[in-house]
Parts: sequence; C-alpha cells; structure tokens
Amino acid sequence: MKAEFINPFVKATYDVFSTMLNCQLSRGELSLNSGFQPDYDVSGVIGLTGKASGSVVVSLEKGVALSATEALIGSTADTLNEDVVDAVGELTNMIAGSAKAALANLEMSISLPNVIAGKNHVISFGSTAQTICVPFTCTWGKLSVEVGLADTAE
Amino acid sequence: MVNKVLVADDSGVIRKIVVRALNACGVTDIVEAGDGAEALTQFQQQPFDLVLTDWNMPNKTGLELIQDIRGGGSDVPIIMITTEAEKKAVLQAIQAGVSDYLTKPFEADALREKINKFAGE
Repeated sequence: MKAEFINPFVKATYDVFSTMLNCQLSRGELSLNSGFQPDYDVSGVIGLTGKASGSVVVSLEKGVALSATEALIGSTADTLNEDVVDAVGELTNMIAGSAKAALANLEMSISLPNVIAGKNHVISFGSTAQTICVPFTCTWGKLSVEVGLADTAE
Repeated sequence: MVNKVLVADDSGVIRKIVVRALNACGVTDIVEAGDGAEALTQFQQQPFDLVLTDWNMPNKTGLELIQDIRGGGSDVPIIMITTEAEKKAVLQAIQAGVSDYLTKPFEADALREKINKFAGE
C-alpha cells in the first residue's frame, strides 16, 4: 500500500461531507493495519480494479449515519433502515469515485457499493497485505476511511 | 418546457435528492427507475421531456442507456449525474450523446441549475 494512494481518499471524504452534508470533518492520526478492521456500526465497501486494485471501506458510527441521511434527504430515522443503508452506500460511492478521478493514472473502475451493518462487524481485505485507516470526527460522531490498494502488477 | 422526467439511479437516496430538486424547479411528473434496463423500458413506454441518469447502475449502465436512447432516434435532453469525473469518462458520455454532466459530490444549487437549464426552455 503506497502512502500516496491515501491522500485522494482523505480529500474526497472531506469534500463529500462538506459538499453533500454541510459537515466539516477533523482528521485523526492514520494507522497501518494488516487486513482486518474493527468497525463502527455500519460500513460501505467498494472494490477498485485497474493498474492498482483493492477496496475502500467507509465506516460510520450509527449517529453519524443517521445524521448524514437526514442531511442528504431530510428524513429522520432512529434505526439503520433502508434509507440509511442506501445513504452510506452512496457516500462510499462518492468518496471512492472522487478518489478514483484523482488517481486517473491508475485507470481504475469501481464496483457498486455493498453495505454491512451491525455492531463490531469485521471486514476482511482479502489478499491486500496492508491497509491504511484514517479516522475522522465531526459534530455527529466518529467515522473512518480504510483503504487497501496495491499495484496490480505486484 | 419540461413536464415529465425520468430519473434513473440505483441509489434511492440520490433519486430522492434529484426528485426534491425537480420539485423545487416545479416538476412533479416524475418516473423513477432503479437501474438502466428499467429506465430504458420506461423510456420506451412513454414520452419524457428530460432524463437524469447515473452512470454506474446494475443491468445497464447510464452510458449504455444514453446510447440506447440516442440509437432509438430520440433527442431528449439527458443529464448524467455521476462520480465518473475523469476527462476520458466525460468525453465518452459526450460521444454517447449526453446533454449535460454533473459530478458527485455536488451542491444542491448546482443540480437545480442544471435542471432549470432545460426546464426553463
């Protein structure tokens, strides 16, 4: 996992939350993980394939997911219902899509998003040896973006 | 003048955002489709004045939807709303016959501006 791969995802996360949700994020210290991730309540997962391949996982505390959904479509929810799951998928899609555009030289395509809900769920990054996790906080709570991306030729 | 609009996106959240923007522009006759194939079926069954479509959708992509609509001889205005922001992708969409292009993330005002560009005609 090259360090330069992570910055477009960080910028995309700031941009998506600021533009779509009017929510300003603060970034915490990034960490290197080895393929598994302790998560928040709900995660959006998207696969990327091209000259580099891997996955991006956007994980949100329940409160962040609910507030983000309300900011997006104006509907309030107190559970991780269909709207909330859909909103998490779409936020993940926008973050992955924006980062992909910034990494255009890698000629990647992105998969449709999958969303996993449930406290303390764990996501495997498969064969990707190492991932970089960037935690964020906002007035709604905590979230993280974890990226595992490796040159396809490696 | 735009009366009837087709909105194609596999994300219900984005469809809701688009529908809200259309309502704000005075458009209320809206048909929603959850994928490209469903959108094409709807398009072939009734006349539309404007189409808003995502790019990455199951069954049929937005790009294929545009190609099919143009291939059928229609010159209906089509706005693509997508995360595909690379120059190469925009050029592909233009070649397919898209009328306008909005990349996600977007400000609510930017979407209404795009809609009004056609709704005001």
